[in-house]
Amino acid sequence: MNVTLTVNGTQRTITVESRRLLADVLRQEFNLSGVHIGCAHGACGCCTVHVDGAPKLSCLTFAGQCDGKSISTVEVLGGVEAEHPLQAAFRSEHGLQCGYCTPGFVMTLAPFVDDRVAEGRMPDDLEIREAMSGNICRCTGYHGIVAAVRKAIGDRLAKGTQA
Amino acid sequence: MLRPSAFEYHKPETLDQALALLAEFGDEGRPLAGGQSLVPMMNLRLARPQHLVDINDLGLEAIERDGPILRIGALVRHERYLTDPLIGALMPVFQEGVHYIGHPTIRRHGSIGGSLAHADPTAELPLLAVLYDAQIVVRSVNGERRVAAAAFFHGAYMTAIDPGEMIVAVEFPIPQTAAAGAFIEVGERRGDFALAAVAVQLAIDGGRIGTASVACSGAAQHAIRLPELERALIGKPLGEPAPENEIARIAGALKPPGDHAASADYRRALLKTLLTRATATACARAREIS
Amino acid sequence: MSQKMDRPKHVGARIQRFEDTRFLSGTARYIDDIRPPNVLHLSFVRAQVAHGKILDIDTSGLEFLDFPVQFFTGADIGDLSIKAHQDFPEMQYSEQPLLARERVRFVGEPVVAVLADDSYQAEDAAEMVFVDYEPLPAVATMAQARDPEVPGLFDGWKTNVFIERQMKGGDIAKARAEAAHVFTRTYSTQRQAGVPMEGRGVVAEYNPSDRMLTVWSSTQIPHLLRTYLSEELGWPESRLRVIAPDVGGGFGVKGQVFVEEVLVPWLALKTGRPVKWIEDRREHLTASIHARDHQHTLEAYVSADGRLLGLKADISVDVGAYSTFPFTAAGDPGMAAKVMPGPYDFQHYEATFRALASNKCPIGTYRGVGRPSAVFAQERLMDDIAKELGLDPIEFRLKNIIREFPYKNALGFTYDPGSYAETLEKIQELVAQDRAAALASRGDPNKRIGVGLACFVEQTAHGTPDFTRRRVPIETGYIAARVEMTPDGQAIVEVGLQNHGQGHETVFAQVAADALGIAPQHVHVRHGDTLTTPYSVGTWGSRGGALGGGAVHMAAGKLADKLKAIAGHLLQADAKTIVLKDGLAHPEGEPGRHVAVAKLARAALRNVGELPQGMEPGLEAQVSLDGPADGTYANAVHAAVVEIDIHSGKLELKRFVVAEDCGTILNPLVVDGQVRGGVVQGIGSALFEHFIYDEDCQPLTTTFADYLMPLAPEIPDIELHHFETPTPLTPLGAKGLGEGGAIGPAAAIANAVADALQVEVQSTPLNANAVWRLSAHARGDLHDG
Ligand SMILES: Cc1cc2nc3c(=O)[nH]c(=O)nc-3n(C[C@H](O)[C@H](O)[C@H](O)COP(=O)(O)OP(=O)(O)OC[C@H]3O[C@@H](n4cnc5c(N)ncnc54)[C@H](O)[C@@H]3O)c2cc1C
Ligand code: FES
Ligand code: FES
Repeated sequence: MNVTLTVNGTQRTITVESRRLLADVLRQEFNLSGVHIGCAHGACGCCTVHVDGAPKLSCLTFAGQCDGKSISTVEVLGGVEAEHPLQAAFRSEHGLQCGYCTPGFVMTLAPFVDDRVAEGRMPDDLEIREAMSGNICRCTGYHGIVAAVRKAIGDRLAKGTQA
Repeated sequence: MLRPSAFEYHKPETLDQALALLAEFGDEGRPLAGGQSLVPMMNLRLARPQHLVDINDLGLEAIERDGPILRIGALVRHERYLTDPLIGALMPVFQEGVHYIGHPTIRRHGSIGGSLAHADPTAELPLLAVLYDAQIVVRSVNGERRVAAAAFFHGAYMTAIDPGEMIVAVEFPIPQTAAAGAFIEVGERRGDFALAAVAVQLAIDGGRIGTASVACSGAAQHAIRLPELERALIGKPLGEPAPENEIARIAGALKPPGDHAASADYRRALLKTLLTRATATACARAREIS
Repeated sequence: MSQKMDRPKHVGARIQRFEDTRFLSGTARYIDDIRPPNVLHLSFVRAQVAHGKILDIDTSGLEFLDFPVQFFTGADIGDLSIKAHQDFPEMQYSEQPLLARERVRFVGEPVVAVLADDSYQAEDAAEMVFVDYEPLPAVATMAQARDPEVPGLFDGWKTNVFIERQMKGGDIAKARAEAAHVFTRTYSTQRQAGVPMEGRGVVAEYNPSDRMLTVWSSTQIPHLLRTYLSEELGWPESRLRVIAPDVGGGFGVKGQVFVEEVLVPWLALKTGRPVKWIEDRREHLTASIHARDHQHTLEAYVSADGRLLGLKADISVDVGAYSTFPFTAAGDPGMAAKVMPGPYDFQHYEATFRALASNKCPIGTYRGVGRPSAVFAQERLMDDIAKELGLDPIEFRLKNIIREFPYKNALGFTYDPGSYAETLEKIQELVAQDRAAALASRGDPNKRIGVGLACFVEQTAHGTPDFTRRRVPIETGYIAARVEMTPDGQAIVEVGLQNHGQGHETVFAQVAADALGIAPQHVHVRHGDTLTTPYSVGTWGSRGGALGGGAVHMAAGKLADKLKAIAGHLLQADAKTIVLKDGLAHPEGEPGRHVAVAKLARAALRNVGELPQGMEPGLEAQVSLDGPADGTYANAVHAAVVEIDIHSGKLELKRFVVAEDCGTILNPLVVDGQVRGGVVQGIGSALFEHFIYDEDCQPLTTTFADYLMPLAPEIPDIELHHFETPTPLTPLGAKGLGEGGAIGPAAAIANAVADALQVEVQSTPLNANAVWRLSAHARGDLHDG
């Protein structure tokens, strides 16, 4: 089938078999190596991307379902230098080790950070932990990730919401 | 690899088109809603539909009040309930139960139609449907029928839906009198399917329990009501402690499944505990509002 | 060996990791990102019965496919196999063929390899192959494995025991005779999977133009894999290149040579095309390696005044169907037997340990290797003894803890200095309030609080003698580093390790930067590629920081000496007085009289006429560093505070506190991360993770819906307290730390549960059902359900 996708701002029409997972299509057709597959059954969050702005598991989505939709992946979030404030916080708080789960966490949590900043409120630890409960990290024990979310929200609250 | 076998994908724009497609494919077709249960099954090749009928664009996404009925479109996503003012005001137990469903990304995409049709033995929405005596509105090219939740679930992953049919909405009777309730669940980790869960809804009649509805999952291959306990609760003063002996007796007679996640004995004991606690919490909440 | 360094500028600093940017931006390259053109995708037909004779392999269905496929079976691969034999007469010989021949021995064992141009098609094709088995009875339990009536899994086997041996020191009979109390208990730890978030994967490509066979594998041991491939395939090692690209977690799981890693390059040679295999999660859970599955019976001899006199251990491990390379079937039981004496002072010890075969996935190395199980048994026993003797469990430990160093334990292993008593006392102080709360909760009708701890030593970075003694094919444990300076004054560090989260690219840059007087940002650390890195054993056994860091330090030191000699010559000063700092070389105390390190590098490499008379051009040094014979011993105390709902069995981990000592801390950011990550894996072992087989050895937990790892909400903040006792045995004073975090939690949490419920806890996992069962007494149930 023919599918038109806007991926990280660029629109392209491709021909794919209907069973191809969005994760595979992003990786293979769009060369987006930041989309990782950790389980391919919806239980680890590694493959999280944004479809029309909201986090979605790209292993549970067929590319064919995304005709006309806009998709963004970790590659577009902060560029090759990973300059998004949440990425910077992952760096300073040691929110990653092997990095395999990292794009999924970042894509799941970036909107969470934005929403809390928009509300002007710092969530408690349990709320932060629940926001990432669909993502598994086997390396960090989550500690650095929780700290990174707290820092990303805190920094932006301190600066005002313009960031 | 965990990738699905081949299928044909269809994206109807109207409900009628969708029903026509489902009628045409029969056994070989399946509706695709949020995909949060179906696609894992397909990736594991435990499900191999030949045709997927994507029902996401049929406009089945309304939550509407229709007199004594709250009608929830089949494609309403779980996360909606957490902020929906109607649900919050009319059915707080519903909202309490939804908190236990999976994780944020799953709740954002999973739908009520999908959850009921998938019929996981301990899923929350089926339990809530059973608790509230919901009617499941099922349609095919031959017309519409309503199936009471109590008759809808036939076993683990088995329902009253026939090939060619799909759920279009779920109708919940709105509690008409002052009511209070509770939903308590125990799972291994937050977001896991429950080992057992209990939901209680009490109508308040003066300082007493008017009618009572008690449902649980983990006791059988699908959510069930406990009419004996419901009868025992009716008329009880709200200030009275939960009838532990009665609960122990009723729970003791349950025959829950035992598996590698939990033994039958444990599930039975857990149900007893959760029934006691949910009843007590419901009564306490009822006291607060009456 | 320890040379006192000047106050290092970068080592010890909390520097953010340089490697993070590529992981955060999605530009890292993992195995699935290796995509050679014209590649064939491999999919396996794997055994669906645990034990059976292969009667027929029906591939006729492949003829009906509308795309090209190739397939290979055990009959095609000759006698290629994984051979992981321990050279002891007691060891029964076995091999794992790359594809099953005649017989399958566990569910998930590869039987047929199917190749297609597309990965989805390869999977479709594999489904069209039907294998017919004559089922054989499965060896499912330890008792069955030891039963001489049960036929052997391999031809010529007498019982299903890979090996049974003993280790002893002192005189156990004397300890028993002198004991006022004898305690016998049996403890077991469940079968687990290691589960890095990236599964395994292998890509191989042969290039006829330079006759190089290149193999990319998500491995922790690229050089060991290269040698194995060379020997097994009969391919010259000089024409083999193994590349471990970015690796998405390993934890020891990727520290074996697997059948798939040998098969994929063989298929590439056979088909003349690149071949790629990416493991899926179900394959990972059922057919990579498993871990733990120990049962220990301990007998402790204790004096009237509460001193441990001796310990006797009987250790069985269900190691599954095959012996794994390079640590063999005896790896786990042997490790448990070796470390059981722990941090306590007694001189009589005897262990019998055995590796039992079954029709399950082979056991391999997973973070901690044998130690989490040993510490579980040892530390549960300490609490059970204290309870029975009416002693405070911490006081009982303090009474028996080793305080004088070096200490030679009952097996003759020498412990270097540590902070055993200090960490224990620190924990005692930190959990005092929780212990009071636990005591106060004893009569509570609903909730009970418990505090438990685990006190342990961890042998790390052990050297060659430790491996020769075990007669395992690993043979040695050294790490090599090469340091090179480029004419612009920047450095390249090449280590025979593989960085999959440990922060090597940052930590080794810090180490080299200190020696060379340049900024860590100007040091490029490379690893994982056998073409560019010196031969070493790879990343395992908590040796990266201690030995890898030490080797980098020594090699960089050699370069520094040469830089100083050149600087002395150019500045007309004594080379011995030269210091390298901030990119400059100057005589000590005369910072004004300086020359840039970059200029020295240029002199060494280009303007060689400026070198002192007779000095050889070039700026490169390589050092191989073997571990100390007995290793260096890190120590830690873990404490867990739990709250238990005795009616539902729900356990909440309220607090987890660690006091640990891994010697010199090279980068606190990395150390904290390693410890916390390990602890949370240990929490998984304690509470949720259980790989379950039914009585026919059919696996029941083959997806993440059933194999439950810790998610963020279940985990509290992990509190860390560091002690720093530098070891004299490694150049930087660092001890290993990668595994320690995972060693203590099962014991600490089980002790906390035992404390809360006032019962003896004999096994993990402590999931809701198990905790509910253990709560029977607290609930006042007459019988436990
Ligand atoms: C990691 C993870 C954790 C989860 N945890 C929970 C949990 O704790 N509790 C819980 O309840 N659920 C949980 N889920 C499941 C989730 O709630 C699903 O969204 C839900 O069960 C199915 O909804 P869906 O819209 O995604 O349906 P789909 O996956 O699209 O479909 C599921 C099935 O229903 C059929 N179907 C879909 N819509 C209709 C319709 N309108 N009429 C007829 N048939 C239809 C499909 O053909 C398919 O057979 C979890 C899922 C994942 C991946
Ligand atoms: S890969 Fe999609 S959730 Fe695991
Ligand atoms: S950083 Fe390795 S899995 Fe999260």
